[in-house]
Amino acid sequence: MAVAIRLLEESDDVESFDCGDEPLNSYLKRHAWTNQRKNSIGVTYVAVEESAPGVVLGYFTLATSSIPRDGLPKKYVRGLPPYDLPLVLLARLAVDRRFAGKGLGHALISEAFRITLRVADEVGCRYLITEAYRERTGWYAKYGFIPVEGGPETGPQKMFLDVRTIRAALPGPT
Amino acid sequence: MPRTERPRQTAPKIRKTKFQADLAPSEDRMVRALKEELQMSSNTDFLSDALALFRWAVSERRRGHTIVSESATGERKILVFPRLERVAPEVALPHTEIQWTGKELESLAELASRRPAKPTEALIRAMRQT
Repeated sequence: MAVAIRLLEESDDVESFDCGDEPLNSYLKRHAWTNQRKNSIGVTYVAVEESAPGVVLGYFTLATSSIPRDGLPKKYVRGLPPYDLPLVLLARLAVDRRFAGKGLGHALISEAFRITLRVADEVGCRYLITEAYRERTGWYAKYGFIPVEGGPETGPQKMFLDVRTIRAALPGPT
Repeated sequence: MPRTERPRQTAPKIRKTKFQADLAPSEDRMVRALKEELQMSSNTDFLSDALALFRWAVSERRRGHTIVSESATGERKILVFPRLERVAPEVALPHTEIQWTGKELESLAELASRRPAKPTEALIRAMRQT
């Protein structure tokens, strides 16, 4: 299966998308395009098969955010620049269940890592943060995401990955 | 006493470049109509203004800005011009707020102050595939 990952387009067929999770389905169908084009809340990238390039098989949504410097414990603030710490938020990632187990999730998160590095190079960011469903934290942990402790006991789990760790995974000079 | 003539000082000549374009008849008509509408008599002025506008559009897209036209009723149209997209930054992500608890910030600060972890096998595979 030859898959391409690109920005969501208005003409994309999202109606047939079903990842088995209603909020994630609903986000893609009702909000992703509006948030991308009109509201500038998040940018959505979609995986499409080259033979049917308008049908969305999986997607992820990215945005930038920041860690408020003033909210950090004083002992960690020393040495930090006097402004909030920029980060990339991997807000959503989902694969249509008809295509589960074919490596689409891996392809999508790989692209999210590459975009994060480009953001770090072009705009500046230190961390990649995701808010994972608790039953999916193991999948993110495989890629090195570490749980951020101290959040609400229910609901998504915030997870952290240092951009320097992503960069260190790039192939070295041959 | 004979008058000595001082050598005339001449301003340095600015070398101008001639610009010639082959236009299709329809494009030629378009240029003429625009010049008339804008009350421009010379092609030089026309080209100079067009260049200024194009240059502005390029600089806006280069900064990642979207060029939008908005009607009096609020209907908005976004300019999508393939050549301009070549200069737009590859990544322009919008900013969003995350709600952090105090304990999360403490945990985050502790994680961020550590030396970066070594990449996992899965991360290495992710970054090394094409």
